[in-house]
Amino acid sequence: MKELIKKLSESFGPAGCENNVRSLISDEVKKLNFEHYVDTLGSLIVKVGSKGKQRIIIAAHMDEIGLMVTFIDENGFLRFTNIGGVLTSTLPGTKVLFQNGTVGVIGQEKIKEPKELDFSKLYIDIGASNRDEALEKVKIGHTAVFMPAFHQEGNRITSKSLDDRIGCFVLLEVLKRLPSSLPNRLYFVFTVQEEVGLRGAKTASYRLKPDYGLAVDVTRVGDTPEPDFKMVVSLGKGPAVKIKDSSVICHSRVVNLMIETAEKNQIPYQLEVLEQGGTDAGSIHLSREGVPSGVLSVPCRYIHTPAEMVDLEDVENSISLLVELCKTSW
Amino acid sequence: MDLNSFLDELTQKDGVSGYEENTADFIAEAFSPFVDDTRTDNLGNLIFLKKGKSEHGPRVLICAHMDEIGLMITKIEDKGFLRFTSLGGFDPRTLPGQEVRIYGKKIVEGIIGFKPPHIYNENEKDKGVEMNDLFIDTGFSREVVEGLIRPGSTVAIKRSFITLMHNCRAGKALDDRAGVAVLLQCAKELANLAHEAHVYLVATVQEEVGTRGAVVSTYGLSPDLGIAVDVCHGDFPGALDHEVSPLGKGPVITAGPNIHPHMAERLTTVAEEYCLPYQKDVSPGPTGTDARAIQISLGGIPTGLLSVPLRYMHTSVELVDMQDIKIAGRLLAYFIMRLESGFVEGLSCL
Repeated sequence: MKELIKKLSESFGPAGCENNVRSLISDEVKKLNFEHYVDTLGSLIVKVGSKGKQRIIIAAHMDEIGLMVTFIDENGFLRFTNIGGVLTSTLPGTKVLFQNGTVGVIGQEKIKEPKELDFSKLYIDIGASNRDEALEKVKIGHTAVFMPAFHQEGNRITSKSLDDRIGCFVLLEVLKRLPSSLPNRLYFVFTVQEEVGLRGAKTASYRLKPDYGLAVDVTRVGDTPEPDFKMVVSLGKGPAVKIKDSSVICHSRVVNLMIETAEKNQIPYQLEVLEQGGTDAGSIHLSREGVPSGVLSVPCRYIHTPAEMVDLEDVENSISLLVELCKTSW
Repeated sequence: MDLNSFLDELTQKDGVSGYEENTADFIAEAFSPFVDDTRTDNLGNLIFLKKGKSEHGPRVLICAHMDEIGLMITKIEDKGFLRFTSLGGFDPRTLPGQEVRIYGKKIVEGIIGFKPPHIYNENEKDKGVEMNDLFIDTGFSREVVEGLIRPGSTVAIKRSFITLMHNCRAGKALDDRAGVAVLLQCAKELANLAHEAHVYLVATVQEEVGTRGAVVSTYGLSPDLGIAVDVCHGDFPGALDHEVSPLGKGPVITAGPNIHPHMAERLTTVAEEYCLPYQKDVSPGPTGTDARAIQISLGGIPTGLLSVPLRYMHTSVELVDMQDIKIAGRLLAYFIMRLESGFVEGLSCL
């Protein structure tokens, strides 16, 4: 279990450049003999079951936040912009990795006040002494992600991009555990470009015309010292059933089904009201004539930092809940 | 049911964004005598069809949103006080002192409390009101509250419908139940008019959280043209003339990039011809209404926007003039009566 999570989360895949993650996932899917294909934007779609009544999309996103090079100065320093919700406060002193293996560190110009810290005051140093030397390794438009540094401590793991590789892992594990006969036609979708506006899920759900949608993603928690928001989700207390976030008000039919299924199977769960943030369900539920949708969230601390943290027991319970949901009539 | 009683009862129905069922049931009943078909789509949009006499007549979408801004419980504190977030754009300054209804296992009454000025400390005197500092008090202990309410329980403001002078009415959720009343008036007028067009009157959901109901209902109906009916800012002391439209001077026809020029022009012409008072307004970008979503649905839908002036938007004392509502409904009905396929074909020639 741990090996695959480590491989997935350490894989390189900023939004728009998810090919490494996709190959990793499609290798796993191939072992399981499910029909699968890649859509126009790059999302990987896995078809499960062909007889069921309802068509259900179950989505987790492959992409992660990252940085993109915009300018290389004559001394070889790289200027960059953000891909998705990168927090400037996490950047100074952080190591980043490019797809070709080039490593950089993020430096910061002199500032007087913390609030002056924005992308224009930051640069990436790859050790080049001038522009030409830098250009041998990195071009404008190349992207970088946080340097992988997976670590496990008891039940807790930290890594970059657990948002949402942990969701991808949950989907892969569920695929392994599904019985051969299912009441629904399931489409497991590993989406692209979630971090830049839920884009892969938008085109995938347009194509698949689902009756229901379920996103599997991470959510914030309220169990750390002085959290940003007063919310009740804690690490280690089970998967969260989302009620709403900025992108979706989850459909009551889906929410109730998730709660009933968890209670019937004695799987611990929490209720999540997220004040900021969105998931693929935001796109799915607005597809075509509207798709009743919900979200199964894995509680996660320090989202969008180099060290996101989840609890493996929550991951296991998320897998169990999703397996049961796949076996249920919607 | 007359328009006044309709709006009175309608504003007593709680229907915060995403949870509009109670509101929808009431609206469906009120509209049923005047329409040929009623259905609800996947997200809860309530869709009425008033058939036209020509089978191939134009298909018109007219919508007003039935959701209201509301609150949602995020956390139950130790002593049973409830923390919340907003569904839609509540200004936290308007919340202290409000009565609320919480939709838990049953409906629980509560109030939004606030620290009295006597015990402010120095820093708090000049501080604004933040949602994070506010809480709901139900009077119950944590144990009782936890049995009834959970994170995710929705909260609606409680406020009776207030009759004021000169046709004025105040209350909650008139943004955009006033628009729904316009649709009802339109349906009533159409009962006595001959029209070719097939009219889809839609009470949309989730407008206040991003015009979500209009996104899916427009896609589903694929109309030839669409009109959103919403509210705009009425006049009051301190507002600048160019930001507001006076109450009692008729509905407001909007122009701008969100609006097809022929739609604004035709609404204006119809108002002129039937001597209906109207006002004009411009909006430089996508409007904050369902019109924003309708226009960019499918391959693009020619869109119009008609608004009822309303004072104190997003408070519990939103104030409208009933006469503006009635005239807006009549204007839409005459617009529909005059709608012929030639006009619809002309919409694609700019």
